[in-house]
Amino acid sequence: MAKKKVQIKKKIQAKKKVQTKKKVQTKKPKETKFIGQVTKIRQTEPRTVIEWPRAMTHVHTYGLLSPFFEGLRKGELRATQCPNNKCPENRLWIPPRAHCPDCHTEMIWKTLPKPVIGKIYTFTQVVYAGIGIELSTPYWQVDVEIPGLATIPKSYLLRGDPYIGMKVKAEFRTKKPTNTVLDYYWVPYEG
Amino acid sequence: MCFKLQKKGGDHGSRLTSHPCLPTPVPTEGGQAGITQEGGKRMITFKEGNLRVPKWNRRVFIVAGGTTAYKKYFPEYKLEELAMMAFKQMLEDNDLKMDPLDVKGLINFATYGEFADHFQDQLLCEAKIHDYLGLDPLHNLGIKTGGATGGSTILAAAMAVASGYANVALAAGWERMDEVDTRTGNYYIATAACKDFETRLGRIYSSYYAPMANRFAETFNVSEVTRAKIAVKNHLYACSSPYAHQAGKYTVEEVLASPISAYPLRFLECCAMSAGAACVLVCDEETAYKLTDHPCELFICGGTHTLRVADRRHMEVPLLPNETPETYKDLYSKEGARYPGFESFLAARFAAWLVYRMAGIKNPLEEMDLVELHDAFTISDLQTYGDIGLRPYGQEQDYIESGDAYYINPNTGKPGKCPSNLSGGLIGTMHAVGATGIFQAAECLWQLQQKYDKFHGDPKIWKKWGKEKPKDWESLQIPKNSKQALWVSHAGVGSHVTVGILRKSW
Repeated sequence: MAKKKVQIKKKIQAKKKVQTKKKVQTKKPKETKFIGQVTKIRQTEPRTVIEWPRAMTHVHTYGLLSPFFEGLRKGELRATQCPNNKCPENRLWIPPRAHCPDCHTEMIWKTLPKPVIGKIYTFTQVVYAGIGIELSTPYWQVDVEIPGLATIPKSYLLRGDPYIGMKVKAEFRTKKPTNTVLDYYWVPYEG
Repeated sequence: MCFKLQKKGGDHGSRLTSHPCLPTPVPTEGGQAGITQEGGKRMITFKEGNLRVPKWNRRVFIVAGGTTAYKKYFPEYKLEELAMMAFKQMLEDNDLKMDPLDVKGLINFATYGEFADHFQDQLLCEAKIHDYLGLDPLHNLGIKTGGATGGSTILAAAMAVASGYANVALAAGWERMDEVDTRTGNYYIATAACKDFETRLGRIYSSYYAPMANRFAETFNVSEVTRAKIAVKNHLYACSSPYAHQAGKYTVEEVLASPISAYPLRFLECCAMSAGAACVLVCDEETAYKLTDHPCELFICGGTHTLRVADRRHMEVPLLPNETPETYKDLYSKEGARYPGFESFLAARFAAWLVYRMAGIKNPLEEMDLVELHDAFTISDLQTYGDIGLRPYGQEQDYIESGDAYYINPNTGKPGKCPSNLSGGLIGTMHAVGATGIFQAAECLWQLQQKYDKFHGDPKIWKKWGKEKPKDWESLQIPKNSKQALWVSHAGVGSHVTVGILRKSW
């Protein structure tokens, strides 16, 4: 098989070569043109500094954590749990992990029963943020203890003023979801 | 990750026991394999070998250092030109007993620290700088561990020397954070938080430290005045440095009145975002004494912990040589209390735990004559005092309030017991990230060699960087009988930390 393929390839190449040679001979040689944008000079003193624009889009997979983000779109908070009954860590994980860090077993998904009530462990008010911030500043960023979790996930408080120990309830951005972790947040909870 | 440390005795005897849910637990002497329940808190144990204390195959020394000044915007020089200027200072101005080019002729390996390719917008920057320094075709390795890059770069160079791969290795680092505006820089740095679960919630690194500051204040009853004092101190010490990017004489009131970045952290409590480069020369014992009569022996170890603070499960405090189980009997018994939680850095504690054993340190506060800590924010500086045992956890603020952390103790008017960040640190002088841990090591070296004035007080150095030496310039040289200095290089919210010790060896 391999031999045959090579032979065919050679034949095709030989034919093409002859054809392209003819084409090149008939065309006028082209001059290379600059097709970019002219670079702006920002300053010349004490040295020359130019502007260097950058714009790009990455694609990013949520991999085995995709169910977490699907859950947010449906208004559910989903966590992972190690199903290995020999493993000492049987608590839930948010941020979720697909594999248990202690025994490497593939985790299973659990949906937290609603309402999800947590307690503020600590917080900050983000006043000055870097470029690309998607929440209107200033806003309250909160780290929330949720019963049954091994972790203390970071999120934000939609309204109200936080304090350590404050009870909060999880809510979801199911209309026009951002498809990111910003699709769940906390609101003050009385009761 | 939570684990139980079991002390067997002796400097090399501390170990972790086997993990219960790994397939074939290996029973180890001096400790039971398996899960343990203590005070209702889970402790996971690890296998023997995880806690082995690193040991060099031969002794390692640092003999020379070099640095550029650090600036917010540095259009005067290209990055490789800055690296060359630091390299030249290292070879030419450290009183080495050989011609600079002959010293260069001893180098056969280099490690290079750079935090983020985003900033340089140049992959394989190492190759460009290596060529520019005229070191081809010697091999070099690029090292990247976030804010701890500088420390890790020195660790990698030390490994090369200790193993015999090199007799003389160059450890250099840099960052060019001025190609983008500050907010874009903040964005780039925030990509060093978990991109799926944390970056979007802050887009600025102060917002990952600020929650720690609030929790720390609540747990240990710390006033923001203590944090402000750290900012005042480090900005002030930067006034003596010709390399400083954020020198300033501020009052506590001015710090607290400055604009907030992320509550409660003010701008004056946050580190600089700089451009600049630094390097040190790492070598074996024989070469060290050939090059100088004043070499310093090097010990350095590292530790790591989760990128997300969220994932830090409770564990027992690994005890430093100056601590006993009694020290923390009640500290973590409160409901909701976790170690290291949001208050401390396990990676820093772990690195200190190792390096104190490696260097035979029994009491860091008594034995260190200077510490250069990674004060990216006032709060991280404060947290680190506990991690490296300058004070027990819960009493970190006393290191500042007692005056121990100052060049001159404001309470007594006498020299501080163990002054901190006389270089001006990251808040006052620089944070050109890949250079930072190397700059700190150079400062420790010069202090131990009694060369603070030579490298900070010479009007020519001030002029070289476009500055004038202040008329009220003050020396921050530590006393002649000083023996040891320590520096901490720290990444993320404590994801990677190295703790290095330089010991005067003459």
